[in-house]
Amino acid sequence: MKKLLRWLMALAVAMVAFVGVAAQPVHATDDSLAKIKAKGTLVMGTSPDYAPYEFLVNKNGKNQVVGIDVEIAKKIASDLGVKLVVKQMDFDSLLVGLETHKVDMVLSAMTPTSARKQSVDFSQIYYTASQDIIVNKADAKLYKNAESFVGKKVGAQTGSMQADLVKQKMTDSKLLGLTKVTDLILALKSHKVEGVVAEHPVAQAYVDHDKQLAIVKSGWTLDPESNGQAIGFAKGSDTLVAAANKSINEIKKQGLIKSYTKTACDYMTKNTANTSMFHYWKFFAKGVEYTLLITAVSVVFGVLIGTLMALMRLGKNKILHTIAVAYIEFVRGTPLMIQVMFVYFGIGLFVDVPALTAGIIAVSLNSAAYVAEIIRSGIDSIPTGQTEAARSLGLSTRQTMTSVVLPQAIRNIWPALGNEFISLIKESSIVSIIGVTDLIYQLKVVQTATYKGVAPIFVAMVIYFVLTFTLSKILGHFERKMQHD
Amino acid sequence: MTKPLIQINHLVKKFGDNVVLNDITETINQGDVIVVIGASGGGKSTFLRSLNLLNQPTSGEIEFEGTNLVGLSEKELDKVREKMGMVFQQFNLFPNMTVLENIKLAPMKVKNQDDAAATKKAHELLTQVGLDDKADAYPTSLSGGQMQRVAIARALAMEPDVMLFDEPTSALDPEMVGEVLKVMQDLAKSGMTMVIVTHEMGFAREAADQVWFMDQGVIAEKGEPEQIFTAPKHDRTKDFLSKVLAQ
Ligand SMILES: Nc1ncnc2c1ncn2[C@@H]1O[C@H](COP(=O)(O)OP(=O)(O)OP(=O)(O)O)[C@@H](O)[C@H]1O
Ligand SMILES: [Mg+2]
Repeated sequence: MKKLLRWLMALAVAMVAFVGVAAQPVHATDDSLAKIKAKGTLVMGTSPDYAPYEFLVNKNGKNQVVGIDVEIAKKIASDLGVKLVVKQMDFDSLLVGLETHKVDMVLSAMTPTSARKQSVDFSQIYYTASQDIIVNKADAKLYKNAESFVGKKVGAQTGSMQADLVKQKMTDSKLLGLTKVTDLILALKSHKVEGVVAEHPVAQAYVDHDKQLAIVKSGWTLDPESNGQAIGFAKGSDTLVAAANKSINEIKKQGLIKSYTKTACDYMTKNTANTSMFHYWKFFAKGVEYTLLITAVSVVFGVLIGTLMALMRLGKNKILHTIAVAYIEFVRGTPLMIQVMFVYFGIGLFVDVPALTAGIIAVSLNSAAYVAEIIRSGIDSIPTGQTEAARSLGLSTRQTMTSVVLPQAIRNIWPALGNEFISLIKESSIVSIIGVTDLIYQLKVVQTATYKGVAPIFVAMVIYFVLTFTLSKILGHFERKMQHD
Repeated sequence: MTKPLIQINHLVKKFGDNVVLNDITETINQGDVIVVIGASGGGKSTFLRSLNLLNQPTSGEIEFEGTNLVGLSEKELDKVREKMGMVFQQFNLFPNMTVLENIKLAPMKVKNQDDAAATKKAHELLTQVGLDDKADAYPTSLSGGQMQRVAIARALAMEPDVMLFDEPTSALDPEMVGEVLKVMQDLAKSGMTMVIVTHEMGFAREAADQVWFMDQGVIAEKGEPEQIFTAPKHDRTKDFLSKVLAQ
């Protein structure tokens, strides 16, 4: 009887606990605003390649995100009495950023489509722009409106509402999707596409800065619900959304968007006053700094972890061997890009890793798998007689490895290791997708800032070549030195 | 006067189903020079490598200076191997080190000798094998005979109690065999305990205290060189010797 009672008690306790846990999310919706106020910062995620909404300017040698969306975000932050923090990301990564709480809100000229509404909450619409099609000025006479593009290729930003519009309204045109507007403009100029669909202010900005471009009106009349721009929030942030809506109401009532647009355009003219690549050397320098930093740190950790993995794989311990094999095969069997996103967004769910750290971790872990295989092949290439001779002299397993086998193995694999280091310089560029300001990222920043497509690419290409060529010369020097021994 | 240095009891070694050493019980005394002969594949190398446990025996005991080595940990074995020098058919010098560094490595790493002491000892040993002028050369620049003499010096640097040789002259051009055998001959005269696997019958005759004929995993016949070479008892010994000496 007593036993039964105890049982029932335990059951009751468990049920109360369960209900408590289950009820938690309901409570959580209410504290989204309170949380922001408590931490004192409001983090805005944006993809700053969409002037005049969001773009980068160089202020005292530092990248700064400015634009209409940033002005709106500032207003919301000051209404809440908190500090605004701007985080840069690829447009495609923004919603993931919300879900994983890397950012509190997304302002990136984003349209609240029904597909997006399923995974995030939106504020009311704060701005509605008409859609334009950017064309080469020489061809401007050929096109009257969107219907003139039958059978032609048209470009739009991947994942954007413009891409959806092309799919829905320009069924007889082919869509080319690229992540960056700057790349789309390049595609236009090289006749990969005949038109680029963009919002009016964006199209106007490009045409103002490039005499070879012209605007064709799309002629679409669009439902503001599917055309306007709104602020994205994580699901269930009702209180925060309400606060944002209040600020947007004020912005509308006071007609603030106009002054925000003016501020943005002032930045743009200042930004593009001097578009020579030399003027932007600091951007490139910063890119080189980050690219080298990521590569150097990743080489060190890659070699350390890689050596450990190689030894584990070659060792007698079955468990360690299996771990090493699984690790190596898994990392080599998945793309670096996904690994970078996984570390940043996936691990980021549990601990907040800054983008740079996440990038370095991902690239290091990736490199380690390749280095492990190189080192293993190097160790395998040393005849067993070397090990036997060392062991017969009384050297321990460890001494044999460090004094006899590894020095010879490294000499054998030096060229392969060198290749790995060189390719690391190039492959580390993938971290730009999570907003790490490496050379590729900075290249895009300069493209956006200067409205020049090719020149920054050329500069970045030359820089990459100088980096890899110098490294390969240095490695060659060491290789020759080792061979002389 | 003679006391056992290595006592082998019921040594068995199998590779899978292949019984390579089949219940060997033998004694090697302090100062003995034992030459092991036999046909290819008879298990000579396996036997030699069992003595310092480069090969783990399947069963049986190897007692060295009173301790059974079978079942010792790798760490304990490292201590034992210091005292058992080994010379290989393929020399196995470390190609990334100079001759001097090859010799100094183990004394410095294992015995924690300081550089000066190790260098001094290395030069003495190089003089002993007639190669002091090659101290700073890399192994690849040496002839086979020179490499093998360095390998002997390297093993001696640990001041071992026994030296094991596995066909030390088989990889050499004929004109270089003599210089290596000479070094081994001197070593034998100095009282070093040696176990030598070789096909050099002339050397066996001159230097060995005992010749062991190994066949199908056992020591089929053993005796003083005079007896083995002039009056072998076993048919298989006769057969083997007639083939080898005919060459
Ligand atoms: N690591 C190994 N794995 C499997 N079998 C082996 C191994 N080492 C030796 N053997 C086998 O053991 C037998 C004896 O080999 P061992 O090398 O001891 O002979 P040997 O008398 O030294 O011959 P040789 O004169 O050719 O050197 C051979 O049948 C060989 O195939
Ligand atoms: Mg052999």
